[in-house]
Amino acid sequence: MSGPIERILIYIDGSEESLTAAQYAILLSKAVGAKLYGAFIVNTHALNDLLKSNIFVESEQMEYQRDLEQDAEKYLHHFVTMAAEKNVEVETIRENGIVHVKIKEIIRELDIDLLIVGELSRIRSRRDEFLHESERAMRTVRCSVLIVKDTDRVWDLFEEA
Amino acid sequence: MALIDLINEKVVKIPLESTMKEDVFRELVDLLYKTGDITEPDETLDAVLARELLLSTALENGIAIPHAKTKGVAALTIALGISPAGIDADSQDGKLSHAFFLILAPPDQSGPHLEAISEIALATRSSSFRRLLITSRSPEEIVELFQDS
Repeated sequence: MSGPIERILIYIDGSEESLTAAQYAILLSKAVGAKLYGAFIVNTHALNDLLKSNIFVESEQMEYQRDLEQDAEKYLHHFVTMAAEKNVEVETIRENGIVHVKIKEIIRELDIDLLIVGELSRIRSRRDEFLHESERAMRTVRCSVLIVKDTDRVWDLFEEA
Repeated sequence: MALIDLINEKVVKIPLESTMKEDVFRELVDLLYKTGDITEPDETLDAVLARELLLSTALENGIAIPHAKTKGVAALTIALGISPAGIDADSQDGKLSHAFFLILAPPDQSGPHLEAISEIALATRSSSFRRLLITSRSPEEIVELFQDS
């Protein structure tokens, strides 16, 4: 199918907002016949930074990285399961690095034309705006971005579909 | 979750009453127990002290970030204590520590825990932020500082 949305990327970070966005992405992908990719980025940059700053010790860095890699497996598996429920085929991507940079790379490499992210937390300080990885990705990617809101409505839509 | 959503007047203690590092940890754990953020204070304190044995979490320039994963909390939780006089907490630059950020998370929330610790670490790299933090005189000033920075 040819149209304005052919390849969609949903960024999953394990938050409830991102999983709701994944449900919406599955429904949208099915409706428009777009290929759907789900990505989880293990923020190894932050882990390395904390180690260099002596805030983490090496065993802690390794433990957190292991935890985050397990989270990636868990949430991407959940994404695949949800998609299968709606007869939608998806591909999953797990990367390590700086989250917003990796998202941009994936978008470029896969020629993604729509990035979907979960609802952003309410920005209450300038620092939040700068630090939030979804926010940074949203502002800097070259493709269009869709922010999924209204969790209850999305859940209902997903159940009914 | 935004950091400012976790730091409110109830979880900020100024000034800290304790003068010893371990007592500061206990004081902050007690504060979170009183707010209802901690369900198991003894288990939580043990986890914080166990982490502290690996390497002092008193960093440089008066900032300390004690942290632990523990079943004693149900969600990511932060407490902040300010000691204007400073406390000898075995800091990495040998200076007294003035601001103690206690950051706790349940064992299955490494992602949010990592984000919160990273945010605090980044915010406290600014010398002007540190100065304003350490010279704050009330929890309200601290919350305002986080909102404005």
